[in-house]
Amino acid sequence: MVVGDVTTGTDVLIIGAGPGGYVAAIRAEQLDLDVTLVEKDAYGGTCLNHGCIPSKALISAADVAYDAGHGEHMGIDADPAVDLSGMIDWKNEVVSGLTGGVEKLCKANGVNLVEGRAEFDGGNTVRVAHSGEGQGSESIEFEHAVIATGSRPVELPGLEFDGENVIDSKGALALDSVPAELVVVGAGYIGMELSTVFAKLGADVTVVEALDGALPGYEDDVARVVKSRAEEIGVDFHFGEAAQGWDESGDGLTLRTENDEGEISEFGAEKVLVAVGREPVTDTLSLDALGLEPDEKGFLVTDEYARTEVEDVFAVGDVAGEPMLAHKGSKEGQVAAEVIAGEPAALDYQAIPAAVFTDPEIGTVGLTEAEAEEEGFEPVAGQMPMRASGRALTLDEPDGFVRIVADRSSGFVLGAQVVAPEASETIAELGLAVEMGATVEDVGATIHTHPTLGEAVMEAAENAQEKAIHTLNR
Amino acid sequence: MVREFKLPDVGEGVAEGEIVSWLVEPGEEVSEDRPVAEVETDKAVVEVPSPVDGSVQELHAEAGAVVPVGEVIVTFAVEGEDDGKAASDADVPAEGATEPETAGTANEADASGAEASGDGRATAETADAESASGGGGRVFAAPSARRLARELDVDIGSVEGSGSAGRVVDGDVRTAANGQRERRESASGTATDDRGPAAGSASGAVEEPADAAAGETSTDSADSAEASIDSAEASASASADEAASVEAADRDRTLAVPATRRVAREMDVDLNRVPATEQRNGEAFVTTEAVEGYARSQQEAQQADARAVSAAGATEAAAEGDEADAGGAATATGERAGERVPYRGIRRTIGQAMERSVYTAPHVTHHDTVDASGLVETREQLKPVAADRGISLTYMPLVMKACVAALREFPYLNSSLDEDAEEIVLRDEYNLGVAVGTDAGLIVPVVDGVDRKGLLGIASDANELIEKAWDRSILREEMQGGTFTITNFGAVGGEYATPIINYPETAILGLGAIEERPVAMNGEVVARPTLPLSLSIDHRVVDGAMAAEFANRLGEYLEEPRLLLLD
Repeated sequence: MVVGDVTTGTDVLIIGAGPGGYVAAIRAEQLDLDVTLVEKDAYGGTCLNHGCIPSKALISAADVAYDAGHGEHMGIDADPAVDLSGMIDWKNEVVSGLTGGVEKLCKANGVNLVEGRAEFDGGNTVRVAHSGEGQGSESIEFEHAVIATGSRPVELPGLEFDGENVIDSKGALALDSVPAELVVVGAGYIGMELSTVFAKLGADVTVVEALDGALPGYEDDVARVVKSRAEEIGVDFHFGEAAQGWDESGDGLTLRTENDEGEISEFGAEKVLVAVGREPVTDTLSLDALGLEPDEKGFLVTDEYARTEVEDVFAVGDVAGEPMLAHKGSKEGQVAAEVIAGEPAALDYQAIPAAVFTDPEIGTVGLTEAEAEEEGFEPVAGQMPMRASGRALTLDEPDGFVRIVADRSSGFVLGAQVVAPEASETIAELGLAVEMGATVEDVGATIHTHPTLGEAVMEAAENAQEKAIHTLNR
Repeated sequence: MVREFKLPDVGEGVAEGEIVSWLVEPGEEVSEDRPVAEVETDKAVVEVPSPVDGSVQELHAEAGAVVPVGEVIVTFAVEGEDDGKAASDADVPAEGATEPETAGTANEADASGAEASGDGRATAETADAESASGGGGRVFAAPSARRLARELDVDIGSVEGSGSAGRVVDGDVRTAANGQRERRESASGTATDDRGPAAGSASGAVEEPADAAAGETSTDSADSAEASIDSAEASASASADEAASVEAADRDRTLAVPATRRVAREMDVDLNRVPATEQRNGEAFVTTEAVEGYARSQQEAQQADARAVSAAGATEAAAEGDEADAGGAATATGERAGERVPYRGIRRTIGQAMERSVYTAPHVTHHDTVDASGLVETREQLKPVAADRGISLTYMPLVMKACVAALREFPYLNSSLDEDAEEIVLRDEYNLGVAVGTDAGLIVPVVDGVDRKGLLGIASDANELIEKAWDRSILREEMQGGTFTITNFGAVGGEYATPIINYPETAILGLGAIEERPVAMNGEVVARPTLPLSLSIDHRVVDGAMAAEFANRLGEYLEEPRLLLLD
């Protein structure tokens, strides 16, 4: 034992105060467990500090600026000036309000908060090293541990993050001025969200993607709507181009890419934003001390109770596997806490909804038509184009559609894909339908408010039953 | 390799069985002879053992499905044998298919063959068609229902959903949980039940309990036209009102999902009248299941009404001639489809046995009443003694003893008619059946060698068999070989009945309730405990006079049980 090293004990030790960890901590305290929550950086994790929340703040602000400047056809003539550092200050206020709230909530619930980096130290003990020279460390013995260390951006060889020329999403959300030229490497959901933001703020944005289309993992007709809109806003796409490296040139830099045929292209930029995915953080934990080994992608394998292969150790959130979504992590955190408290909880959800905050937004839940077929269903899909929605037209955002996938014989809603304004909200209703085992008849027979975007859900459900009023039934 | 396991002939010449429950899950390792399923056949539930060591690959039937003997019910993955081709289980042939109707389908594993295998199967298939088309065992249920299932330790995948399109709702989970609990408790429940056999033969008796209310009224009506009209109407409105008033709600507002509202519309049910199974936001919330249940109860009430009205109407018509009512009532019952309950398993076996008995043996029922004071007194004396020895003593063993004593003198009531040999077989054993009404239906365990046993021996044997009948662990052999049967319908209530003989026996004794009744003694009416007897005999073998003489002798023993000491 190191001198000055104090050992304390706790029922539940949680490593990481992101949406998985802090939810687990509060839930465990509610269930009368003694909880210690270790966080090395900031309460709220990636989601609140560097991900969901700051990006949504900037997306909203960028929308205000862009829409104000593009309202001539609505009779608005304006040329808004964007002060990015002012925008970032506002974003930071939002973030600190929320992270402060999380910290207060944890304290109010009686969670013991410990600052530092935790490592397993054999048996049921972690060593927490406090940050800063000479701040020492402490050991904590636990009955149960919950690993909620989250994920970090993947680095591309040749394009290591330097925080200046080559930045990750976290850096992009903290710039003090809009770069004149921005190259975004990766057309996944983070790349698409941020390229749209900077294009709307006036940057000249180029997206370079190694695969042959935007938003891999989403259906073509969904991705197409978003990509077309991004092109309208001014984003320039180059597919099949793998980023290789960069060179300084004049005030900025030049990004080198290579296509399948080995041809080299160059893109000049002020900054390069690399958004090619995220990887779980498991390498800082000394998992060997537990006898626990991540899978080949670095994830911890868990069962339906969020339990790892080690009986007393749970893993939740990004570190426990795809999809890396805050709400999935929170659910896992909640279940882990309840399981530890002996409640009959389990991860038995039908589906995890997901949202992409592009223009228009994408919301998905459950199965696509193709996935439903793979699962052995005979699916039927009902669709409603937003162009037929009065509300979408009055929002001046007529792109996209709502699609419901259901089981043909029983009518059970199996999934939905929404690409539409506010799709991130609309998908909630469809998630409820999937989770409750509702049928398209139930959804279609539920009166929806007029004129709203949600009406499209009702119409799509009716369309699936071939009795939609505002679309031709296929 | 993959090994197919077909439903073996688990009984003697059984054509099909109902999978009551699975004892294994897909993926589970099993060793040879480990039970994989509980299968209900005609009169018993048997455990079907695994024929191999291996792992369960797939279960081919849902719990509750009726499967013809010879149909594949499980596939096992067996290690170390040839891969690739499915081997069928040749050493378990479908020899049980004695009924020509099922013989054709027994060997057919494909769905089309199953069509002809009877009502139960057809119903099961319709139900399948209504639920989801497939999808890897996905269960459609709200998160709250899934959590409830975890709380109640119910495998939600095995719960049959009653919600729209087969969605599993809370009620389904609770029903499944209750079923599990009842199966566990039924054994201990009857074992400690002080009412013993009396409670046992409750609903069973020999008549169809469902018809009780209106049916008996119409029988009575033969006695007195006017009185029976009154009583018929009274019981009709009573039963109808009971069904309606006990269950009907009366609200201004009811929450329900749209699919439930549609079902209500289709069934012509007012949602505000349906008893709410749960509350949402402080308001009554009604499920599809509740709507269907309510519709059913309404219909039953209506039918009871109609039966009573037609019974009353018929009597009235005979007396006066008011045909309009009777005609109207007949139409009311005639066209309604109602719920269709599969007629299979134990229910069908009982039905077939009753049919055979009643259409083979011309029944005559002799009624008498005995003064039960001596019987009551004797039991009261012996009961604490028996209790000291851990045995619950009911009247049944005393009655059984008395029956044996009387049967010795009247061996024709302890006989059977061998029609082929044209001989009456006077049995030299006294194996007495005791009819037990269980949840599943009437079961008659047989206490062997009653003549060779003491009172406590009879009591303990009978108690044990009745308990086994209740938890359905009773063996076929324990229900066979009877020579005479006793049914204690009086445990439920009533005085006289017309019991159906447990064919090929020749006689059955029905016991009414022992109650104080007015008795004329020495020119005065006094209250005495009496026991009404209903003795049915096969008139081919026994004449009425002999039945009466047997009843007289039995009565002597029952009135003075000490006479049994002389035996």
